[in-house]
Amino acid sequence: MKFSEIKQLIKVVEKSDIGEIEIVEEGSKIRISKNSSMKQPPVFTQMDVTGIPQSIPPQVLVQGSPAPTIPLAQAAAAEEKLEKASSPMVGTFYRSPAPDADAYVEIGDHVKVGQTLCIIEAMKLMNEIQSEVNGTIRKILVENSQPVEYNQVLFLIEKD
Amino acid sequence: MFKKVLIANRGEIAIRVIRACKELGVKTVAVYSTQDENALHTVFADEAVCIGPPTSSQSYLNSSRIISAAEITGADAIHPGYGFLAENADFAEMCNSCKIIFIGPSPEVIRRMGDKSEAKKSMTEAGVPVIPGSTGVIKTDEEARRIAGEMGYPVILKAVAGGGGKGMRIVREEKGLENNFMMARAEAEASFGNPDLYIEKYIESPRHIEIQLLGDQHGNMIHLGERECSIQRRHQKLIEESPSPIITDKLRKIMGEAAVKGALHVGYFSTGTVEFLVDSKLNFYFMEMNTRIQVEHPVTEMVYNVDLIKEQLLVAAGEHLKIKQNQLKANGHSIECRINAEDPANNFIPSPGEVTSFYQPGGPGTRVDTHIYASYRIPPFYDSLIAKLIVWGKDREEAISRLRRALDEFVVEGIKTTIPFHKYVIMTPEFLSGNFDTHFIEKIYRKELIEI
Repeated sequence: MKFSEIKQLIKVVEKSDIGEIEIVEEGSKIRISKNSSMKQPPVFTQMDVTGIPQSIPPQVLVQGSPAPTIPLAQAAAAEEKLEKASSPMVGTFYRSPAPDADAYVEIGDHVKVGQTLCIIEAMKLMNEIQSEVNGTIRKILVENSQPVEYNQVLFLIEKD
Repeated sequence: MFKKVLIANRGEIAIRVIRACKELGVKTVAVYSTQDENALHTVFADEAVCIGPPTSSQSYLNSSRIISAAEITGADAIHPGYGFLAENADFAEMCNSCKIIFIGPSPEVIRRMGDKSEAKKSMTEAGVPVIPGSTGVIKTDEEARRIAGEMGYPVILKAVAGGGGKGMRIVREEKGLENNFMMARAEAEASFGNPDLYIEKYIESPRHIEIQLLGDQHGNMIHLGERECSIQRRHQKLIEESPSPIITDKLRKIMGEAAVKGALHVGYFSTGTVEFLVDSKLNFYFMEMNTRIQVEHPVTEMVYNVDLIKEQLLVAAGEHLKIKQNQLKANGHSIECRINAEDPANNFIPSPGEVTSFYQPGGPGTRVDTHIYASYRIPPFYDSLIAKLIVWGKDREEAISRLRRALDEFVVEGIKTTIPFHKYVIMTPEFLSGNFDTHFIEKIYRKELIEI
């Protein structure tokens, strides 16, 4: 998640009635808790029961599970804008045409429609996978010589 | 034994094969189209690989995607199930050249028995009775008259390029031959662009009776009796049973031995089925051979107490057949109903959609092979078989009574199924008496008679 996205998320949580939100996505987790009169997360013991209700908003305490609320949608939207380059076949993913050659693309590279992004090997045949958009490589989601299945997302590309 | 088997199929048969593999300690790989993401076979298998979009040609019928999936998962064998690529000789050949064992017979045998006239020729060579008729195309009505005279009437004129029950004319006596010959040629030309005809003896009131075979790669082959499959609608089997109500012990032995002889003659091994047409005088004639495991294999399993899929895996791995023909004893009677997601009150129109509740029957002698569960959404892309209900009884009477009880218990809501149709069929006098042929369903079916 980008820093700009996190800032946006914090702003929205502040303005809303949400007490705490946690977002988990590939390789990262972020939790944002609102400052309330309670510094500690509520401990539900026999004695505390009466004291708790005031500071927790009547709404659901969003924690851990993605709720259909605005901040989550905004956070995900940024990645949604990225074009997914998915595998059209089953096989083994290679980043370069040969073991000692340079990779076809790196993060940050600009690619054009029709440009080769990678190779997928199937049944001893090498198939070049081409980009369907003009844009910049933002993420590479698979590793060299990793098996891939149909529709598996390989690259995230920010369209021009 | 194989370390890992990829099942190139879906639905109930994929689950059936996975079960046998698990019991043999073999790891399993499921393949699935994007439409089958929530299919049960992907959950039952140890691994699952998405191989393509919903259309079969780009997924379950796509040889290269399937073999790629086997390569990336390190599967050493592929089980093709039934349908899809199960009888595709090219696919079997591709597997072999990629050093992956195709669980079934050799590509050459698949090819040979897949060609109807080659198959007939092979069986004739082996001394297996075939439907009498011309060996090739008949050019003139005199030729037709001569052959018909030798075989006896009724005869049937069939278009060489025909299929699906089209391009056929039944001729009941000699005086109708010339006329029908000319008309059949004209029809064949119009429908298939080829006027060529061949002629066969027409079997009145035929019953469709098939013999289950099992052979290893060392020349050993046994038969596991017959299955009665005459209850069909538009050439699709609906209810199967073993044994057949009309086959005597003596006839079973003769037909079984004929099937084994024919299969060995072409070098067959693995599971397979020889289909015969049986006439009202109990003459039997070779119709075709299915070089795969069949949908209705469970009725044979129940009667002979053999796990046919496990045996198929074992012989594919090179094991010797441990079962001897003289050890096989038939016990009791088994009947299977194919439950389809179709509306029997509406000309069997397919009924895909979400299954909102599901309860499958249980109790003694009751088996259900299915991939359905409550909340599963049946996709519109594949065939409509959703479950097989198989019962076993100590005799046909008990099996029928058990089947009736089990059908009453079976709950599938949210979609239409053929369960009410099965309930109706098994109550008819024809079914109860065992006195039916392949025309049974079209004769008795009236949609008003079914209580939904």
